[in-house]
Amino acid sequence: MASEEAKEYVLPPEVLEETVKASEELWKPVRKIKFRIYKYNPRKDYAPHWEEHELEVSRGMTVLDALLIIKGETDHSLGIRYSCRMGLCGSCAMMINGKQMLACQTRVLEAAGSGDVVELRPLDNFPVERDLAADFTSFFEKHRAVKPWIIRNDEVELNNPTGPYKQTVDEYARYYQFTDCIKCGACLSACPTAATDYEYLGPQALAQAYRYIVDTRDDGLDVRIPIVDTEHGCWRCHFAASCSDVCPRGVDPAQGIQLLKKLLIKRKFGLKPHKPAEALPAKVKAEKEG
Amino acid sequence: MRESTIMFLHYVAAVLIMITGLIHLLANNDPVIGAAIKASPVLYLGNMAIFLAALLYHAFNGVRVILIEMVPDRCWTKWISWAILIVGIVTYAVGLQVLMVALGFA
Ligand code: SF4
Ligand code: SF4
Ligand code: FES
Repeated sequence: MASEEAKEYVLPPEVLEETVKASEELWKPVRKIKFRIYKYNPRKDYAPHWEEHELEVSRGMTVLDALLIIKGETDHSLGIRYSCRMGLCGSCAMMINGKQMLACQTRVLEAAGSGDVVELRPLDNFPVERDLAADFTSFFEKHRAVKPWIIRNDEVELNNPTGPYKQTVDEYARYYQFTDCIKCGACLSACPTAATDYEYLGPQALAQAYRYIVDTRDDGLDVRIPIVDTEHGCWRCHFAASCSDVCPRGVDPAQGIQLLKKLLIKRKFGLKPHKPAEALPAKVKAEKEG
Repeated sequence: MRESTIMFLHYVAAVLIMITGLIHLLANNDPVIGAAIKASPVLYLGNMAIFLAALLYHAFNGVRVILIEMVPDRCWTKWISWAILIVGIVTYAVGLQVLMVALGFA
């Protein structure tokens, strides 16, 4: 029985052959690319410098693949940050030929274009931790500052939940795109305001503030106003939208910030974005009973 | 004052500049409308006082925003705002006096 089931998943020989061929084609070295890599250890080095490495690259090779080969073979001291290798953790964002990109999602040949040099440096607007790894301390402090969690005033319900909070699909759609943020820092790195104003909360934190404020389960607008409505808060955004342009997840933080400004003005006239969602006790009761 | 109040007034000032500026332009470029507007010198002075106030608020707040972004240190942020406010009020007082002299009120 088990062998019959397994049989169903065996690829026909011609498909298998084709797949192997396509994969060989994808990983066959096709061009020599020069990698110009920023090297700087702020604890040791007086100033940053560049190092060059040449590598035969294939069509499928990503910048992160290339960096791992360089780290494994020629420069073991190279500082890089990565984890998932599939565009989900946000660890590997860096400047690739001058643009904020995820190293694990960018193929070397795509970055090189018609040229034969790929220049890699840590994210702009961030202090350098080491080589290509930026220091995210202040970035995460700003993220935490906007209280990125659901704030409610109904202590009793919070401590003894009687059911899930009610939320329609339309209400969910208001903030859905912002939940896709992987905190890669590309947006803050591209922001012209953040380039001079290091106190500016930045597109990531402000978009997350908006994400929670418009979540109907949340009742924290008034708690977040003193945080986002300041001299270095959302009003310092000039809507150049460079942040949205570079976001690898297709989030539009610039739009979130403009909508946040609108909410703040409406609040001046006593308007709140929504009535906090109520719990649905009936559902929990039904689940418990049945 | 909350930053949203300051910026809301910034946008209100922009609208006021357009309205009072248009009245000012018409008063000095269209003889018929100009005569009608200037028939009440007090009202025209009021228009110019609002125009000047809105213009200075918008301009000085713009400078404040630029300075805050260029010198982001939090203790400097407050100083910049106060310094700009004082310079703005003094400029407005001088400007208003010039207007009153020019329009024959002093
Ligand atoms: S909004 Fe986009 S660019 Fe900014 S941190 Fe989130 S995923 Fe990265
Ligand atoms: S839209 Fe705002 S947050 Fe985004 S890059 Fe421009 S100034 Fe920065
Ligand atoms: S390694 Fe996780 S996003 Fe690139």
